[in-house]
Amino acid sequence: MISMHKLAPLSLVLLASASGSALATQYLTAEQAQQTIFPEANSFKPLPLQLNAEQMKQVEKLSGLPARSVAWRTVAAYKDDKLLGYVVLDDVVGKFELISYAVGLQADATVRQIEILAYRESHGFEIRNANWRKQFVGKTASAGMVVGDGIANISGATLSCTHVTDGVRRIAAVAQVALKK
Amino acid sequence: MQNKRISKAICAALISAAFAAPAHAGEAELMQKIEKLAAELEAIKAELAATRKKTEVVEQKQDAISTAVAATTAANSAAISATNAKVDDAIAASDNARKVAAAVTSQTTLSSYGEINYTRPRDNSSQAQTDVARAVIAITHRFDDKTKMVSEFEWEHAVTSQSDQGESEVEQLYVEHELRPGLSAKAGLFLIPMGLLNTSHEPTAYYGVYRNFVETAIIPSTWREAGFALSGSLDNGFSWDAGLTTGFNLSKWDAASDEGRESPLGAIHQEGQLAKSRDLSFHLAANYRGIPGLLVGGAVFSGKAGQGTPDFLADQARVTIWDLHARYNPGKLDLSALYTRGTISNTGALNVTFAGLPNPVPSLFAGWYVQGAYKVWNDSTYSLTPFIRYEQYNTAKAYAAMPQGLAVPATPDEKVTTVGASFRIGEGVVLKADYQKFQQDSSRDRYNLGVGYSF
Repeated sequence: MISMHKLAPLSLVLLASASGSALATQYLTAEQAQQTIFPEANSFKPLPLQLNAEQMKQVEKLSGLPARSVAWRTVAAYKDDKLLGYVVLDDVVGKFELISYAVGLQADATVRQIEILAYRESHGFEIRNANWRKQFVGKTASAGMVVGDGIANISGATLSCTHVTDGVRRIAAVAQVALKK
Repeated sequence: MQNKRISKAICAALISAAFAAPAHAGEAELMQKIEKLAAELEAIKAELAATRKKTEVVEQKQDAISTAVAATTAANSAAISATNAKVDDAIAASDNARKVAAAVTSQTTLSSYGEINYTRPRDNSSQAQTDVARAVIAITHRFDDKTKMVSEFEWEHAVTSQSDQGESEVEQLYVEHELRPGLSAKAGLFLIPMGLLNTSHEPTAYYGVYRNFVETAIIPSTWREAGFALSGSLDNGFSWDAGLTTGFNLSKWDAASDEGRESPLGAIHQEGQLAKSRDLSFHLAANYRGIPGLLVGGAVFSGKAGQGTPDFLADQARVTIWDLHARYNPGKLDLSALYTRGTISNTGALNVTFAGLPNPVPSLFAGWYVQGAYKVWNDSTYSLTPFIRYEQYNTAKAYAAMPQGLAVPATPDEKVTTVGASFRIGEGVVLKADYQKFQQDSSRDRYNLGVGYSF
């Protein structure tokens, strides 16, 4: 445990620079996920997102979760000059291992699509299933994005389900607070 | 801790910035750069001082950690964004972010589960007892992105020695290698993927203080075998397992003991303990989770159980067991159903030698249950889920034909109703209470209380 803590800053730097995308069990790269979520987009622009203290509070209130990070890896999707929406990249821990995922959001901060980039747990890969991911579409942080209340559990993968669902809800709240037009 | 971390990150940032300066840069340009770095350094110093202050608060108030650190960070956000976004992340390392970071770098994970139970028979309080039923320590180690080791070490009933009743055991010990996304292979001692409980047996994963009877008496949970297996998963929600492993050793059968009556396969399992391996067994399992909240699946396991034991009269005996299961957990509702049936063939000659003993080898054992649970209340930390389960099972539903006069009658089905509730605290802790009613033998009716955890 001690060595983990010592390595934390290094890992965060690595995480930030590698965008958490260098895992072998990767299903999609961040770029592929953007294209999948916004197939009609012809440009993607990085949109470094920094939350202030007030925004963090709002995110916590909306999602019912700790806001966790100040900085969010965000990309804005455009078709020509028209803003289509955003893609936020994030990682959560399933049971033991990291799950990397991308949340596509409409410009109005409703969820457009979820993509799983990398999954390494022995159980619970079913979160990649399209029908499970579809449950998030069109929802906002305020309703229907809790396991057992709007999002169905996956038997044998409760922790992965719960943590990804919480992660998506937090990002939807971030979008509502900081991105919504 | 936090200060050290920040200063390391700052050093890294400064060093990389310094090295990034082109060798041919002019003196003025260099001066400019140095000035910029100095300004950045000032900003970092200010932010460090603030963070140091905050760290003291954090140390006193661990539970408020993420909010507190976030506030500090926000207060310094101007300075931070001027320096390096990476430093940002380091400061924002709340509990959760640390966990994420740990998952990236950590290779070895320690986890555990345990359960402590209290049981009081309804009509015989002198038999009331309390038991540290299970204490489990699990270590998972990741060698690389595709290869890991999974282990689980267990104590049952608290104390293990020659004069005590506890057991200590290696419950799982295997290596798993991912061949490609969606296809992995494992080798070692692992859980047989049959039923709903065997591979998901932590106390937080099932209802009732005790595991259901069908999946302990018929499917011998926690059932593990040593061998090889392949596991695959498809994008449509379908997954499968196929393996070749050790199997059962029928020569261990003791017809004088009740063990075989309690669980026929539990009495002859080998658990990786100098397991006789002349006769190997295969298993196949298929599960479908393509509809959110739904799981339907089944498994079959079969293998000969004589193991080449010299002069053993049931050398051709074959153990086969299969199950079908379904669970529907779309929201607050949680429904499960399972049916399982096992056979042991070619036991007639062996059973003749057991004539007069109470428990010859059954040729058929089977059971099923249905269970319904509903989360009636929850807030962000606690939840209350009452449940009811009805099960019917028989560990000796039939025996191989015996000569006239030697036959032992098959036992009637035991029918058990369990009513109770799980009170959960967060993700990892559960308090349980239930009442079990036995239709065949009402002297077994009992009240149970339990506490369990899993992380």
